[in-house]
Amino acid sequence: MSLRIVVAVKYVPDATGDRHFADDLTTDRDAVDGLLSELDEYAVEQALQIAEAADDAEITVLTVGPADAKDALRKALSMGADKAVHVEDDALHGTDVMGTSLVLAKAIEHAGFDLVVTGMASTDGTAGVVPALLAERLGIPQVTLLSEVAVSGGKVTGRRDGDAASEQVEASLPALVSVTDQSGEARYPSFKGIMAAKKKPVEALDLSDLGIDAADVGLAGAWTAVQEAAARPARSAGTIVKDEGEGGKQLAAFLAEHKFI
Amino acid sequence: MTTTGSTFDSALLETEERRALRKAVGALGRRYGRDYFTAAVREGRQTDELWQEAASLGYLGVNLPEEYGGGGGGLAELSIVLEELGAAGCPLLLLVVSPAICGTVLARFGTDAQRQRWLPGLADGSLRIAFGITEPDAGSNSHRITTTARRDPATGGWLLTGRKVFVSGVDIADATLIVGRTEDARTGKLKPCLFLVERDTPGFDFRQIDMELSAPEKQFQLFLDDVALPADALVGDEDAGLLQLFAGLNPERVMTAAFSVGMGRYAVGRAVDYARTRQVWSAPIGGHQAIAHPLAQAHIELELARLMTQKAAYLYDAGDDMGAGEAANMAKYAAAEACAKAVDQAVHTLGGNGLTAEYGLASLLTASRVGRIAPVSREMILNFVSHHSLGLPKSY
Repeated sequence: MSLRIVVAVKYVPDATGDRHFADDLTTDRDAVDGLLSELDEYAVEQALQIAEAADDAEITVLTVGPADAKDALRKALSMGADKAVHVEDDALHGTDVMGTSLVLAKAIEHAGFDLVVTGMASTDGTAGVVPALLAERLGIPQVTLLSEVAVSGGKVTGRRDGDAASEQVEASLPALVSVTDQSGEARYPSFKGIMAAKKKPVEALDLSDLGIDAADVGLAGAWTAVQEAAARPARSAGTIVKDEGEGGKQLAAFLAEHKFI
Repeated sequence: MTTTGSTFDSALLETEERRALRKAVGALGRRYGRDYFTAAVREGRQTDELWQEAASLGYLGVNLPEEYGGGGGGLAELSIVLEELGAAGCPLLLLVVSPAICGTVLARFGTDAQRQRWLPGLADGSLRIAFGITEPDAGSNSHRITTTARRDPATGGWLLTGRKVFVSGVDIADATLIVGRTEDARTGKLKPCLFLVERDTPGFDFRQIDMELSAPEKQFQLFLDDVALPADALVGDEDAGLLQLFAGLNPERVMTAAFSVGMGRYAVGRAVDYARTRQVWSAPIGGHQAIAHPLAQAHIELELARLMTQKAAYLYDAGDDMGAGEAANMAKYAAAEACAKAVDQAVHTLGGNGLTAEYGLASLLTASRVGRIAPVSREMILNFVSHHSLGLPKSY
């Protein structure tokens, strides 16, 4: 039977752009062009590699986001995913990790899955907890922050690199994995992939399709709220240590003063 | 690095697929970048890694027919590939000749056997074909070409004699498509014909011309003295040579324009980065109009040239060879002028740094001149427009 892989991806403002908060302290999506989160490209890449190694696999890429989020799905489809699911609903504006994981879980159940693959965090919200919340909601094992991942014999295995040790971890399918930016560079879409992407199915869903109460999502339904946001102050000029014989000592004194040594 | 934005980011002007191709090729190009390109030039090697990777993603054969492994797109797509690689600082010059001229000519006019032999390799980048037209005494005037082929009665093949100059990449190309002439059996007049000369053909003599150009691809002179070619070295139909030739020259002009626009965008991007961050006294220099306005002007002129390039590619892909000819000439002219001006202004924006090896802009001063001279000079285009577009008397 076909291995059903669902990759959850996010459409985010380009991290190289000049990003801002909107007036309601949510992400300002108008100020900067959006794209498929770079960290989620790693998830798409690992899903593609798992699918290529499997006899028979199908990759569904899933996103929750505004109309433009289709661009993120299209990118993943052009990289080689087979089909897409787009959950779009005006009531979703301002949804936090709790609401996002709820919507993703319902959509993943709707799509059908053996393996869920995610990135390690989004490049805008960067909470990094959605994979864990999602596994909990789906009631499946989670093996997160993998730098290597493979599927065989009904199990997903992988390597999780920590500061002190590297763990070999595994879980029985169905399961959820998240992969890090060390898992391997994502491929570029080939020209054939780009041309094929438009013909691949994108299923559009809203909250009522998934049986979700609008009160459980959006800004009002969020468990967390951003109270205040301020631009990071500009970096102040550094201290230049000029070596006139005492440079080493001055440098050490500077580092000691700032508790680096 | 800043890559300057464009009105082409609008989905109203370019299809979703073409915009996706731009983004993908741009991302690949930026991963290699200018440093990769200049290191290859310095070390005297080719930018093969980029060529291979772009090939495996199908970017080099976007314009070639799908049945031969190409992408089934057109010149619009191929010019996007070259422009975006150029805007990232690492153009692949042979795209102008191998898939654009030679791939087009073979796909449109080659025999089945010639297509089978060459197109799959051109599409996947494993084969390259150079293009030799310019002669020491005829320039690129195809009516004055003296390289001549005559039938070899002993073999039924051809004996090709002549000289060519400024042929790019002969050393790394598996064959060179040579523009020659044959004698018309009926009228005795000479008519253009295209011949594929494989690199290892006995008597095929090519010598490198020392150029003051920083490019991985080298320039060559060719010396052909009764070089024996098989009968199937003749491309397509002996009687359709001129048509075939022009079918290849329009893509060449469009691709040269894309090459210039890419280089110009790269130069403006570097200058804009510098002007934003370089601070003299209290403010970034980009806040001064003497710096800002010429860069804005360069950007506008590149955008205009790009628009004409797209128009030419559009007409060509739609099958209007005549309409594409005028637009392609205008695009080549406009892009070369815009590029030369953009590079000039970029270097000037950086002041002394514009001439350092570290910033790598100075070498573009010569490179940006190529588009003004090749494949036809600015003046030949002005002749064409004077005569064909404006109906003025011919000057030569």
